[in-house]
Parts: sequence; structure tokens; C-alpha cells
Amino acid sequence: MEQLEYLAKSYTQAPWRRQLQLIGLFSLFLVLAALVAGIYLNVSAKTAIIGRDIQAKQRMLESLDRDIEDRTARLASILSVAEMEARARKLGFEQVQPEQIVYLKLPGYIERGAVILAPYAQKTVVSAPMIPAEYTESLFTWLRRQASFTMLRLSEAKP
Amino acid sequence: MKDLDQYWRYSFVGALLCAAAIGIVLRIMSIQADPQRLKQLEAEIEQVTKVQKTIVPARGQIYDRWGNLLAGNKKVYEIGVELQDVEDPQFIAHAVSMIVPDIKYEYVFSMASLKPSPSAVYATLTRFAPQEAVDKLELLKKQLKEDYVANGKDAPSLRGLVYYPHLERYYPEKALASNILGFVSRDNQGYFGVEERFNELLSGKARTVLVPTDPNRVEEMPEVPNGASLVLTIEREVQLAMEEIIDDAVAETGSASGTLVVMNPKTGEIIAMATTPRIDLNEYWRLEEVFPPGSNIPFNRAVGQAYEPGSVFKPLTMAIALDTGAVTPDTVFVDTGSIEVGGIFIVNWNRGAWGPQDMTGCLQHSLNVCLAWVATQIGPNNFYRGLQAFGLGHLTGVDLAGEVAGRLKAPGDNDWFASDLGTNSFGQGIAVTPVQMAAAISAIANNGVMMAPKIVRSVINDGYQHDIEQRVIGMPIKPETARTLSEMLARSLEKESSDALVPGYRVAGKTGTAEIPIPGQGYTSNQTNASFVGWGPVDDPQFLVYVWLEKPSTSPWGSVVAAPVFRRAVEKLVIYLNLPPDDVRRRLASSN
Repeated sequence: MEQLEYLAKSYTQAPWRRQLQLIGLFSLFLVLAALVAGIYLNVSAKTAIIGRDIQAKQRMLESLDRDIEDRTARLASILSVAEMEARARKLGFEQVQPEQIVYLKLPGYIERGAVILAPYAQKTVVSAPMIPAEYTESLFTWLRRQASFTMLRLSEAKP
Repeated sequence: MKDLDQYWRYSFVGALLCAAAIGIVLRIMSIQADPQRLKQLEAEIEQVTKVQKTIVPARGQIYDRWGNLLAGNKKVYEIGVELQDVEDPQFIAHAVSMIVPDIKYEYVFSMASLKPSPSAVYATLTRFAPQEAVDKLELLKKQLKEDYVANGKDAPSLRGLVYYPHLERYYPEKALASNILGFVSRDNQGYFGVEERFNELLSGKARTVLVPTDPNRVEEMPEVPNGASLVLTIEREVQLAMEEIIDDAVAETGSASGTLVVMNPKTGEIIAMATTPRIDLNEYWRLEEVFPPGSNIPFNRAVGQAYEPGSVFKPLTMAIALDTGAVTPDTVFVDTGSIEVGGIFIVNWNRGAWGPQDMTGCLQHSLNVCLAWVATQIGPNNFYRGLQAFGLGHLTGVDLAGEVAGRLKAPGDNDWFASDLGTNSFGQGIAVTPVQMAAAISAIANNGVMMAPKIVRSVINDGYQHDIEQRVIGMPIKPETARTLSEMLARSLEKESSDALVPGYRVAGKTGTAEIPIPGQGYTSNQTNASFVGWGPVDDPQFLVYVWLEKPSTSPWGSVVAAPVFRRAVEKLVIYLNLPPDDVRRRLASSN
């Protein structure tokens, strides 16, 4: 019994060593926690910056849309029929009279057609997806697909 | 004993903590299991973490047939004050009232001086400040900033003054085609014309979304498509020319109003529709100055006012008669100067007797007595069936708000009398709109096929253009009848050397002079409605022009006041529509 106690005492760590181990473990935990927190902060900061960026771009998009509308209207105002007529008169043009018009036949002349401001609606053509399945399916689906593919090949290989 | 005491204490605290933990778990479970509570919680969280944003799509644009913008959107600003940030309400009031038009110092000062509270954080000063005003305010802010750097706190401040851009309807052509377009009020509601008729399509659908304030939770903004755009059948230059012609005609003839409709009889497309009065659509709030309340002036007389057309109606009576075989062009009627129909005596416009006349002569001299006789030959059933086939008494369905159906009495109606057959035959006792008449007469010009009048040529929605198909609304007469009548009307114009004749172009047409009835008194006034309808070239009609002058004072006769307006309109039209004179056209065609 005494021997056992002696052995136990002999192999028992010194108290300062155990404290050091605990401190080490705690420090490791702290370092890990700090690391995780650091990564988290870094990622969330980046996310926040990108988020702000997206919000700014959305605002810019709205602003650009408004500017396009505004400039289209301003341009139309500059090109309005009254403005154009006044400008033409200033440049010395005058309205043509019926007797001044000479009608000529121009081979190949194509008459002005209806205005097309947007493409005409067409029937939707269902096409094959452009992204390969590997980029869209889950790991399990991929494994299942691979397994069934292998099974199929094995069954085909049988005489 | 001490151990036992400690044991109980520990056990009690342990049990208490366990109970609390179980309580929390149960509460979590109860919340999770109650979807309503969950939704309520989510809503509460959203209220704190998200702000509501209404995305108002840009209103669709309106173009003429060649893509010239008739209605678009311009950028304007809402100017307001963030009450918590305001330092110098007096200076804000000075600056804003000096720079922004139509805003008073007292109003701005009272708004900027409001005490901020949880229910009052922001005050709107104006919602429609122009870009130029905001540019000036921005410049002032910049100068003040420089002054502040130089002078410190004593410099006046615009702090708290903010502005947000948004879109407002804008009409670059101002009053041009105003009666067709209508306008949009500042609450984005369309009134009159195309703007009212297609309000929902043009305005699109506003959408309210919750936008996270936390940039970590930023979400993709939903795509809110702009309102659909419209391409009209109107030609901007032709519209301007027609408006100038009708304005001049109203001024020259001292008429109360004027209306001029130009239509392609083959397609039903309305190329121009000029009416008086008109307003600058960018200043729609002046509407009541031009259309005083209670005056009953329609925004667009071409579709909104029915009137008794008079003799311009006679081609329809003749068309039915020829089509039903009641008469032929060579049928001779001996005009004795009066005829009795349903107990009343009908006389000619000059109260004279014109003797033997063939049907072309009846039209040429616009003989009421002859046409009343023709109507009796047709018989009431065929006559009114024919008029209904011409679409009279019904809406034409033209793409404009405020269309009225007019009035066509028929046998069986309480207010129809046998005498109406005689008076209706020359356009009396019947109410039609100019666009109804143009559509009906277009059947004569277009080989008996009546096209639905249309103003909208294409709709651009979701990035695609959809053309509106031409629609046939009836075939009231046979093609041979239409051709025969066209020839009769062309000859009648030529024979009387009408002021409507256009050198180089063969046109067909008919004048109309209608007395204006006074309710309860009948046709006792000297005032008339003078009209003219004509089309050309007769062998290949490309245009149909309907002219109506209301109460002309220089002369009551359509042949004197309305026919020259038709000629002036056609002289311009042939240039804009690239229509060579008939002989040139035939020569060019034969050289093919």
C-alpha cells in the first residue's frame, strides 16, 4: 500500500506544472477564440463593406435610371418639332410647297418602316442548361450519380 | 448536519436552475410551435432591422409613330428639412423661398421651425423642385461651407436642408397633341386621352419592400419593371400642321371651336387629331382656365362631343340606299322643293325646288328633299339597320378616354317618330362624334370595309414591342357600292368646283351644314355646325379628313368655311405622307 502511494506520488505532476498546463490550455483556447473572432470580424467587416457597396451601387443604379429618363426628356425637348422648326428657319430653310417637289423613282429605295424601339416578342426556345451539373448538384447527389453510373458500367461489363 | 444543510441548499439552487432551464425550453418550444407568434416576432424584428421602401417604377413613355418622344419623365426633387439637424430656420426659409419657385418664406420658416419629436422628424417643403433650383442650393451650401471655414460658427447655415430626386411627367412638345395625350397629375394618375385610357399599363406597379439597415444583411432589390411604353399612330409633324390649320380656321371663321381628324381609311390609324382648345400639358393645373368648370367643354371634341352633323351624313344614307338596291346612281328624283315624311314637311337648304336630279345631283346640291325620299325608299328597318352597321350610336373603341357614343334613335325607341326617318337621312336629329363619322365614312373610302379607329400602334412591355393589329369592325356595304359612291362624291365635288378640290389629286367628299337645335325650341337659332369629310386619292385612298367648325360666324355654310380647311389640310398631308400627284403616281407605277 505504501509502495503504491509512493509510486503515485512519484508520478504525480508537480502543482506548478499542472498550473502551467492549465494556463497553457486556457491560453490555447483564448488564442483559438481570438483567431475565430478575428476571422469572424474580418469576414463580417468584408461583408459589411460589400453590403454597403451593393447598397451604394443600387442607389447609383436608381440614380442612373433617373438620369437616363431625364436626359431622354431633355433631348426630346431640344429635338421638339417647334425647336427644330425654329432652328431650320434660322438656318435659312423654308417649308416646301407642293409645286416645288420633284418625285423620282429610285431603284432600291426602301420606304421608311414602322419604328422599332424594342425587339419583338419571340417564342421562348427551351435550351439545355449552360452550367454543368457538377456546379449545381449537391455532394450527395453527385455521389449517388457516380454510384449509379459505376453500377451501370459494372452491369454492362458482365458477360 | 452542516453537510446536510449545504446539500439541501445546493439541491434547491440546482432545482431552481433546472426549472428555469425547462421553462425557457418550454417557452422556446411554445414560440416555435405557434406560427402566428413567430410571424409577429419576425415582424417586430423586421421593424427594427429593416426600413420600408416603395419602389415606384418610371412611367412608360409615349412616342409618335416615328419614335419622337411625346411624353417622358424628368428629374425633380423633393426638398425637405430634417428637423433635428436644423440650426438656422430663418436662413433656410430665405434661401429656399428665394431660389425655389412658387414657395413662400412664411411656409418654409414655419416648417423648418417645427420642434423635432418622435412623430415629427422630417418636414416636406416642396415635392417638385426643378434641377436648376437644387443646383443653386447646392452651390449655396458649398459657399457657406467655405464661409464657415473662414468665419466659424457665426456663418449662416443650411444644415438640415435635404433633397431627394424623383421623376415627374414631362411633355417635350408642350401643347402639341395635348387632346390626344391627356396628362398625369402629380400623384401619378392619368387624366384624359391616352394617359387615362392606359393609366395602369403606363404607370406600372409600385412595390413596397423592406430593406435591411444592416449592411451584413443586404438583400437583392427586386426588379420592378417600368411602366409599358406606347407608340402612337400620330405623326408629330402632321399633328402640328393640322393644329395650325384648325387654329387658323377657327380664328378666320370666328368659330367657337374646331376639330380636324386625319385617318388612314385602310388601316384605321389616326394620323392626326387636332381640336381646340388645347393646354400646355406641363402646366396642367391651368386646365380650369381653358376648360372652365361647368362649361361642358370636352377635353377632346373629336371623341367627347356628339353633335348633329347635317349633310355630311348624306353619303351614309346614299350608301345604304345603293347597297340595298333602293336606288341606283342613275335613279332620277324630281325635286318639287318639299316632301312630307311622318307628318312633317322637309325642305331644301335654300327652300328651292331643284327639278329632276340623279343621285349624284342630289349629293352635289345636297338636297334634303331628295335624301329624305331616298330614306323612304330604303324603309326604316333597312335604314336604321344600315346606320347601326356603320357603328353609329356605339362607341368606336378608339384608344382614348372620354369617348361618347352619340345618339341614334331607331324604330321602337320611345322618342323615335316616323318623321325621324326623313330628318335623320340628312343628318338631323342624330348625334355623332367626329371620330364616329370618320370611321363610318372610311368604309366608303375603303371598299366597304370599316376599320376600327386606333391611336396606339405598339406597346413596349417588359423589353419587347408588341404591335396592335388592325381590326375590321364591319363591312356595312359591298365593295361595288363603296366604289360607286366614291366616284359619285368625287364627281359631285368636281361639278360644283368645290373649294375642297386639291390640284393634282382627285378627292371625294361631302360638305355639311347643320342647324344647332336649342333644347325645347328646336332649330330656331342661326348658328350652325359646318363640316366636311373627304378622302383621297379616290383610286387608292391614303387619307380621310374630317373637319368640323362649331358655330362659324363669317358664313354658316360648310362649303364656304369647312371645305377650304379640308383643302389646306390635304395640301400639307400629301407632302408629309409623300403622296405624289395622281398623274405622277400613275406614271411612276406604270414605269415599273
